[in-house]
Amino acid sequence: MKKISKLLLALSFALSITSSAFAVTVASWGGAYTESQKLGYGDPTAKALGIEINWVDYSGGLSEIKAQKEAGAITWDIIDLFAFDTINGCDEGLFVKFDFDKDFPPAPDGTPASEDFFTDMPSECAVGNILYSWNYAYDTRKFSGSKAPTKIKDFFNTKKFPGKRAIYTSALTNLEIALAADGVKLGDGGTRVYRKLLEDGGIDRALNKIRELCTDPNGGCVFWSAGAQPPELLVAGEVVMATGWNGRFFNAEIGEGAPIKQVWDGQGLDYEYFALVKGGPDEANAKKALAMMTNTEMLAGSAKYIAYAPWRKSSLDVITAGEPWYKDGKTEMMSQMPTAPANTKNYFLVDPFFWADYGTEIGEKWEAFKAGL
Amino acid sequence: MSSEAKQILTTDGIPLEVSLKKAERKNKIKAFLLVAPLLLFLVITYIFPIGEMFTRSIDDKMITNMLPKTFKEMENWDGQELPPEDVFSAFYYDYKALVEKQEHGKLGQRLNKEKNGFNSTTKRLFRNIKRKKIDESASIKEQMMRVHKNWGKVEYWQAIKRTAPPYTLAKYLKGMDMYFAADGSIAQVDEDRRIHRILWLRTLEIALFVTVFCFLMGYPIAHLLATLPMKYSNLLMICVLLPFWTSLLVRTASWMILLQQQGVVNDFFVMIGLVADDSRPEMMYNKVGTYVAMTQILLPFMVLPLYSVMKTISPSLMRAGKSLGGTPFVAFWKVYFPLTIPGIGAGCLLVFILAIGYYITPALVGGASGTLISNQIAYHMKTTLDWSFASAMGLMLLTGVLVIYWIYNKLVGVDNIKLG
Repeated sequence: MKKISKLLLALSFALSITSSAFAVTVASWGGAYTESQKLGYGDPTAKALGIEINWVDYSGGLSEIKAQKEAGAITWDIIDLFAFDTINGCDEGLFVKFDFDKDFPPAPDGTPASEDFFTDMPSECAVGNILYSWNYAYDTRKFSGSKAPTKIKDFFNTKKFPGKRAIYTSALTNLEIALAADGVKLGDGGTRVYRKLLEDGGIDRALNKIRELCTDPNGGCVFWSAGAQPPELLVAGEVVMATGWNGRFFNAEIGEGAPIKQVWDGQGLDYEYFALVKGGPDEANAKKALAMMTNTEMLAGSAKYIAYAPWRKSSLDVITAGEPWYKDGKTEMMSQMPTAPANTKNYFLVDPFFWADYGTEIGEKWEAFKAGL
Repeated sequence: MSSEAKQILTTDGIPLEVSLKKAERKNKIKAFLLVAPLLLFLVITYIFPIGEMFTRSIDDKMITNMLPKTFKEMENWDGQELPPEDVFSAFYYDYKALVEKQEHGKLGQRLNKEKNGFNSTTKRLFRNIKRKKIDESASIKEQMMRVHKNWGKVEYWQAIKRTAPPYTLAKYLKGMDMYFAADGSIAQVDEDRRIHRILWLRTLEIALFVTVFCFLMGYPIAHLLATLPMKYSNLLMICVLLPFWTSLLVRTASWMILLQQQGVVNDFFVMIGLVADDSRPEMMYNKVGTYVAMTQILLPFMVLPLYSVMKTISPSLMRAGKSLGGTPFVAFWKVYFPLTIPGIGAGCLLVFILAIGYYITPALVGGASGTLISNQIAYHMKTTLDWSFASAMGLMLLTGVLVIYWIYNKLVGVDNIKLG
């Protein structure tokens, strides 16, 4: 029974792939982000190594790669993932474990890779790609000048800032900002907010704060799931404020001149990772490509196209030396980064271990909360 | 006739009966071979996946095989207080064996679905085993409780015990917001985590209303289609079919453009002065959006069966009704309407069954209050990766549809359905 089902699934997958069989395939989040990856380091790497690198879009999570593996026909080599997914995927044996300093090149000054990256990796299967931020942006046609929001509390203040908000479709980072707006000091890198969430009633406190916002006749919530949605919803006038990924806001604001502005107070700093799929179609080439794509020069390259900070410290030096680094040739990138000192006055580090552990239980509560709205 | 009636023989001397049977068998095989590809196709693409889904929804063998010693020891544990040393050490050795096979991560993932927090709890134990910090000659129970405080909580051990049977109906209970309590009885989940019953009811409600709306709008259209002169009805037919041929996603996306607060419909309302600019009604990301978009998308499934039935009703019947003294309404109600019932039956059943499993449209325009059970199934497929739960809910949905079909059959009779 198992075998036949595998065969069937394999068949259907075999039909769905045609050209990608002899190339390295990278699954990422699409839109402006994948564009920055492709132009920043995908194409240069492909050219240098003489291999083909294909980019496919997906919307996060491990379900697709798990399905591919169960079918015995894996079509992806490299996946761009949230931290907790690299942890879960590593546990399930989906990804290749790295010998970090051996598998990844050192910085130009000889610093080994493991020391050139900002922090330790959350699992042995992950290699850092970017630091990005979950911040929020508002519609400058609605609020401007001294009446514009500046704090995370303002996101929840419907009296002073009436209008609908767009928030992420799952609980991730929503609970953190809810507590922060409810008066919890984020503290050192946000460790306090996670301690508060784990206390009795902590999660309910956060959920109540969000429920208040969503049921307020002056407020209301729209849930977004794709990174391109928050700027779109703002520009369409559907919402007045939206949480989102800072790079997407940057591209709309600076790249396309959209009437929006970002607020950095209470931002959630998060890391994005690559994982190498075990038994992918071209594992050997994928490994080579991955090592090259995450070297100092290449990581800095992606920051030319989007305001995400490269994971390597040495890449920041490359950007600083090359300012103005943005592709338009006049925008300074360092101050647009989520890691810029002006932007990190009040922030939290998204805790992947918290979400890997309690994500399911919180998810159940969150879904019930959404269904009851 | 005597009992030794002469056998009738064919020309080559074989009894006719045998020869006939042979020929019939040949024909039967031929007939079977003719339908065999289709049958095989059905088995492979339909029956087999449903069977696979069913096994997946009840299969819990993986964990049973992973912790053989633990479950054996647990048979003697009543599940009320913290288990004895034997259970702890059995678990420890089972886990150590898994670490050697590098399968401990899978166990942590599986247990974390049963009780959150297990992931880090087992990982802490893994790190201690890796560093050889556990002294196997001393009490394992005490050492494990020192490794992580969760090992000293009875809920965690109860969660392990719950996973012991190789087959379980727990996922089906979860689909109804219930679970097996520690003593084996069935209990309700906490109020702030009840979601599935709300969603089942909402799915039924939305499917029902969409069917009613489709009927109310589809009936006049179908009637027009059937009675208008050919040149107009052809045009109308194209108007019905054109959206039908358009991609589902395109149609849903167009509704998003029309219905959003700064969208075309709202702009129009403001322009004609129906609503003020700052109090534009919300028509999307809620139930309204789901109703509107789903009704429009499913309308052809109502119109087409109705049309095909109405086309066969002779117009002279209505004339006869009227000439016998009935008002147009009485003639319609007593003569025309009963004749269209088979079409109504087919259309309603089609629309209802399609609506009950709808996924993309509610996901895009439904917002929080307009999502259906199918969106929850997708959530468990994609986000929590609890595929066995998703399978269980899928089967519950299928069973629901079959039950509705059965009730329908009792009430209306499937023979009365006419698709054309």
